[in-house]
Amino acid sequence: MVDIHRDYVSNVSSTDFPGNFPGEDHAWDLEKFKSNFNVSISQLTERTSNFDLIGIDTSFANAFRRIMIAEVPSVAIEKVFIEQNTSVIQDEVLASRLGLVPLLVNPDSLDWMVDPLHLNEAHNVENTVAFSLQVKCERNSDGTIKNENVYAKDLKFVPFEGQTISPEPTVAYEDILIAKLRPGQEISLTCWAILGVGSDHAKFSPVATASYRLMPQISILKDIEGEDAIKFQKCFPNGVVDIVDGKPKVVDPRKDTVSREVLRHPEFEGKVKLGRRRDHFIFNIESTGAMTPAEIFLKSVAALREKATVLQSCKLE
Amino acid sequence: MESLLQPQYRGKSLTDPVNTLEDKWNLLPAFLRVKGLVKQHLDSFNYFIETDIKKILAANQVILSDVDPQFYLKYLDIRVARPTRQDANEFDTSITPHECRLRDLTYAAPILVDVEYTKGSEVIVRRGVEIGRMPLMLRSSLCVLSGHERDEVAMARMNECPLDPGGYFIVNGTEKVILIQEQLSKNRILVEAERELVQASVTSSTHERKSKSYVVAKVGDGRCYLKHNSLSEDVPIVIALKAAGLATDLEIMELVCGTSHKYQELFSINFEECAKLGVRTQQEALTYLGQRVRGGRYQYGTTRLSPVEEGMEALAQTIVAHIAVDREHADYREKALYLALMARRVVQTLHDPQKVDDRDYVGNKRLELAGQLMSLLFEDLFKTFNSQFRQSIDKSLKKPNRAQAFDALFSMSFGGSHITSGLNRAISTGNWSLKRFKMERAGVTHLLSRLSYISALGMMTRISSQFEKSRKVSGPRALQPSQFGMLCLSDTPEGEACGLVKNLALMTHITTDVEEEPVLRACASLGMEPIQLVDARTLTDPKVATVYLNGTPVGVTHLPKMFLARFRHLRRAERIYEFVSVWRNDHQNSIQIATDGGRVCRPLIIVQDGVPLLTPNQIERLKNEELSFDDFLRLGVVEYLDCNEENDSLIALKEDLVTTQHTHLEIEPFTVLGAVAGLIPYPHHNQSPRNTYQCAMGKQAIGVIARNQFTRIDTLLYAMVYPQQPMVKTKTIELVQYDQLPAGQNATVAVMSYSGYDIEDALVLNKSSIDRGFGRCQVFKKATTTLKRYANQQTDRLEGFRMDEDMNPISTHAALGTDGLAEVGERLENGQVYINKAVPVQPEPNQNQQVQVDDSDFRETPMSYRAPEAAYVDKVMLSTNEKDLPLIKVLLRQTRRPELGDKFSSRHGQKGVCGIIVKQEDMPFSDHGVCPDIIMNPHGFPSRMTVGKMLELVSGKAGVLSGNLEYGTCFGGSKLSKMSAELIKHGYNYSGKDMLYSGITGEALEAYIFFGPIYYQKLKHMVMDKMHARPRGPRAVLTRQPTEGRSRDGGLRLGEMERDCVVAYGASQLLLERLMLSSDVFDVELCRKCGLLTGTDRWCSICESGEEVEDMKLPYAAKLLFQELMAMNIAPRVSLSE
Amino acid sequence: MNRESFVPPSAGVSRQNGVRYLCASCAAQVSLTKGEPVRCKECGHRVLYKERSRRVIQFEAR
Repeated sequence: MVDIHRDYVSNVSSTDFPGNFPGEDHAWDLEKFKSNFNVSISQLTERTSNFDLIGIDTSFANAFRRIMIAEVPSVAIEKVFIEQNTSVIQDEVLASRLGLVPLLVNPDSLDWMVDPLHLNEAHNVENTVAFSLQVKCERNSDGTIKNENVYAKDLKFVPFEGQTISPEPTVAYEDILIAKLRPGQEISLTCWAILGVGSDHAKFSPVATASYRLMPQISILKDIEGEDAIKFQKCFPNGVVDIVDGKPKVVDPRKDTVSREVLRHPEFEGKVKLGRRRDHFIFNIESTGAMTPAEIFLKSVAALREKATVLQSCKLE
Repeated sequence: MESLLQPQYRGKSLTDPVNTLEDKWNLLPAFLRVKGLVKQHLDSFNYFIETDIKKILAANQVILSDVDPQFYLKYLDIRVARPTRQDANEFDTSITPHECRLRDLTYAAPILVDVEYTKGSEVIVRRGVEIGRMPLMLRSSLCVLSGHERDEVAMARMNECPLDPGGYFIVNGTEKVILIQEQLSKNRILVEAERELVQASVTSSTHERKSKSYVVAKVGDGRCYLKHNSLSEDVPIVIALKAAGLATDLEIMELVCGTSHKYQELFSINFEECAKLGVRTQQEALTYLGQRVRGGRYQYGTTRLSPVEEGMEALAQTIVAHIAVDREHADYREKALYLALMARRVVQTLHDPQKVDDRDYVGNKRLELAGQLMSLLFEDLFKTFNSQFRQSIDKSLKKPNRAQAFDALFSMSFGGSHITSGLNRAISTGNWSLKRFKMERAGVTHLLSRLSYISALGMMTRISSQFEKSRKVSGPRALQPSQFGMLCLSDTPEGEACGLVKNLALMTHITTDVEEEPVLRACASLGMEPIQLVDARTLTDPKVATVYLNGTPVGVTHLPKMFLARFRHLRRAERIYEFVSVWRNDHQNSIQIATDGGRVCRPLIIVQDGVPLLTPNQIERLKNEELSFDDFLRLGVVEYLDCNEENDSLIALKEDLVTTQHTHLEIEPFTVLGAVAGLIPYPHHNQSPRNTYQCAMGKQAIGVIARNQFTRIDTLLYAMVYPQQPMVKTKTIELVQYDQLPAGQNATVAVMSYSGYDIEDALVLNKSSIDRGFGRCQVFKKATTTLKRYANQQTDRLEGFRMDEDMNPISTHAALGTDGLAEVGERLENGQVYINKAVPVQPEPNQNQQVQVDDSDFRETPMSYRAPEAAYVDKVMLSTNEKDLPLIKVLLRQTRRPELGDKFSSRHGQKGVCGIIVKQEDMPFSDHGVCPDIIMNPHGFPSRMTVGKMLELVSGKAGVLSGNLEYGTCFGGSKLSKMSAELIKHGYNYSGKDMLYSGITGEALEAYIFFGPIYYQKLKHMVMDKMHARPRGPRAVLTRQPTEGRSRDGGLRLGEMERDCVVAYGASQLLLERLMLSSDVFDVELCRKCGLLTGTDRWCSICESGEEVEDMKLPYAAKLLFQELMAMNIAPRVSLSE
Repeated sequence: MNRESFVPPSAGVSRQNGVRYLCASCAAQVSLTKGEPVRCKECGHRVLYKERSRRVIQFEAR
């Protein structure tokens, strides 16, 4: 358990590895792991997910998190061919914004490109998805203005010859504002989207963010009564502490944000101990739309397994 | 009694808040609307254009001719019209400032005169004759933009940003500012003590006379002398006083010493001096004086004046010239009194060295604005124009044979450009060289800095001092307590100009000249006895106060306190102009009234009997826009105090500190700082030098320059792609409208040591944040050219692009279009041409022959893009300039991502360079998954003590959570306790410290990290513009040493100090290598016998032998030196040891 | 001066059709050829901007 003191945190590292405690062997054991490990899913939707991984080592949880952010491939616009742009947004800024628009393209349906920045000819039906943006802002006959705002929904998929990709590629959110136009201004461009990973550029990251927090733990060591009990309850967010028989009882520590407000008050000194479970990770994954959070997480597990396999097959002299 | 029980008493119910003046800061926007930051420049220029110019005309009204006595030319009126364009006047003649910027024109308006002159025998009146063009200050009364400041649509139609401050000129397409000049006050007595005693009186008047008169005395001596440039020898003061009309020694003694014995003892020796020289009467004194006048003057035609008359002349005109004398009645009494007063001050200071005047006191300084300088310039140009005109008239009148009657106006148009070009040249070069006033000032104008909006605004509030960066004296550079409220306390540059360049505070106003007459009359009506009627004994009576007007004594009052109170009462009742200041000087037992222009003053709320006169009701009416700021002046609630009068008052800082002793209440304490320092949140929690550093850096921050920034074509323009307004702002930011043109972004900052790449103020940046657009900026550069026309009708022209065999344009011409100009939107790499200009190869100029224009007559001088990184063509503009030649401007654009080496800074003087860019997954993250954009090293806090930055983080975090922008106003701002409560409410720690997890290991970090949003600015110093390396490269022609400067691929100099370091190591060979072998080593042949450099082939032509010739390596610069000396017939003989 | 040995600049290219420009004040399209004075045909304004060509330019979306 990680101890939360008023001014510092202690016990952050895991202690169950061989050689840590003399005479004790904490070598990792698959059976022990299987019996201790638990996954409990609190929320699972198309775009967000909140679930707990209990009984796993920090290094794994962090590895999953890092892979979800940086190494799960997804599809984003990489090359923009601008034929006409008379808007106020400069070409390269417009291109940068297009790259950041999340696309609803199944990453498994595209092949990887080896060196996209150098070989134009390498783009083909298998590894690229093309979109086109053609907007002209004009004044209507009745005085109103047509096409003043350019949204992500104006990006239209343009299949290459012979390209069959299903489901049809589209943008994940229709109402992302890309540019604003005034009458007479026009944007006409084609762009190519390819596979990439978040470590290369943030646009390829499939998650808005993926992160975890440790499960808080509040231990009441001594009795707290009366006024102090109510004050104690107020130090935590609603629903964490209930007053039962005039005494505070920790009901739902999961809701706690660990603001350490309790530790500020001298009346609770020695009566409370705050901590966090070192092996209980509450994950929160927000997807940008291309894949569900479950898909992303499972892909990150698969990626970690792949890395392990590569390492295993490396011959050491 | 019943009324108290009613639910509403006097319009307020019981539950209404108690009357407080919390909202009195609303006076500020009202003030700024009337007399804003830039208003000083505008008002001064308006005064010049509307009033002063007519006065100048009146002083030079008539031109007479020597040749024809009948001829005269009289100027009836002068006025400046609206700005027009100079070329073809078809439909619209009006011109916008923006067009002048783009076409490199001068934004000017014609100066029109009405003349009346004789032509032959008749008198002709001609109206509206143009004699020149006056460059107009933007947003002045005649400018096209004035009156439309609130109308954004009209401004947009003229392509002008409504937030642009104005107050500058556009000359030849460049924006020039006339900075406010600070000078010592004129026409005032200043006492200085420098081992011996000097008393200086600076004199100037509009009638071209400027000179300094001194009364000096040696410490311990007591003998006083009058010193002046026009006197060849110092004149004992008693003689001067006698010459001025003080006949008796008694009177002199009384005037100078009063009844004090100590002074009398000190001064008595002067009478002995006078007696020794045998001067007793006024005549003798005048003769003595006249004999010592340098360079006797002669009036028209007559011969020299007699010494007596010389003396009189000198006294009247030259010495202490600003005191008028009555020549008719030969009454010099006022001047005598003045000289006696100077002597009195000297004696007082001899006795008590404490009574010196402080030259650095802000009350003794006057600020000169654009209008005054322009009026001096115009006067000088007008006078020379008139004299030139007269000369040309005389020339043509002399000619006896004239076909028709002479029309004087004809020759006027020939001299017309003298005024125009003179004005343009002065503003464009900044050299004010006026023959009239013997003024030779350089550096009067500066190019308006457009690095960011605040840098432009800050320039308009800048004051440059007259002290010419002389290093020694530290007095003028120090911070003066008298600066409080008038000049900004933090805003001054570091380095050479520190303390000499100052900036105005937010609510300062600079006074303008006011007529003295009404004030004199008011004084008389208040019971002042005029000075002519006062005898010497009363003048020096300690119970009687002398009344001075602008430094000259005008009268005496026996009841000084009542005089003061009643004078102020009159001023508050608007019977006396509101900028006249009156204060009591106890040391000299005097009341000083000032009406002169250039004084700094600021508005304060009047307090009477412990109650401020401002009521909340008035504030309500102000908020409803029923009242304007001037109404408060009229109501007698607010008044302007200048620096000197502040000494006489007791000013309360806050409303609850007001007692019966106080006379005034500050409107808002944060106005103590200026516009640039107002950007800093919580500056009152920072160590003051940090505020000063921020004042310098805020002007270098990249942001939005103006709303028309993409329509402008500037030599260099920086713009931020995604600017944000700060989370924690100040009231000053809102008043100055910085929140609409911000220069930075709110970055999520974690204050921790991370990666070791953040040492010595470096910053760690988040790669994903940069990917998403954080810190991205654009650099716009201009390239311009004109297609010139030559004498033989040939012009420059543009060539098309060349093609290769496959009919593709060659690589260097890939960006060009058919007109020889690069296509808009094209990408330019190093070496590509963007303007394919061709210049004619000059044959003999055949003026009249139309030569067939052949392609081979032209030589290509293309303009190519030279830089390591590519740029895009943003705009290509085709136009014509003032001389009707085609003008081409190409705007090139680069969008830059932050990289290692780019400089960032927060608003607290915490600057740093990007040390490393770290991926998002390696970044520490919080419970919510938030990871920082910037990681700052905590070592930057202890020695710098910028607590304001910590408060900014907490307030910003609270603001983000609650959805409000918070305030960090000086001496105010959001309270920390409230911000902490907000944090707790949202489940965060009260101090802003969160528990973060390491991105690399995934474990929790063992310390709590200070984590929140801070407004960071990206500064214009980017590594791409600075990185430079040279292995071997070009050399200068003359010295054959490596060239200087990055643009010339130069080398870095091993300077004198670096040489000393190498010497300290004793590394002599290293020095030899650096200074000779790698630089300008050169093989020479020396003749051992004669020691001179010989020519070639081992033959000394001087000794005529080849025996003694030796080879040697010398630095080329040394060889050059020897040859130059030899050319001057000096023989630098080298003697070789073995 | 022929710097490279290929076809010298073909005069026809630069003088065929006028290059399109936009007037700064009335946004009218003005076609100018060589030698013509630099003025808007409709409003007489003297500042003209070159129109953006329809040449395709490639950008990286980074």
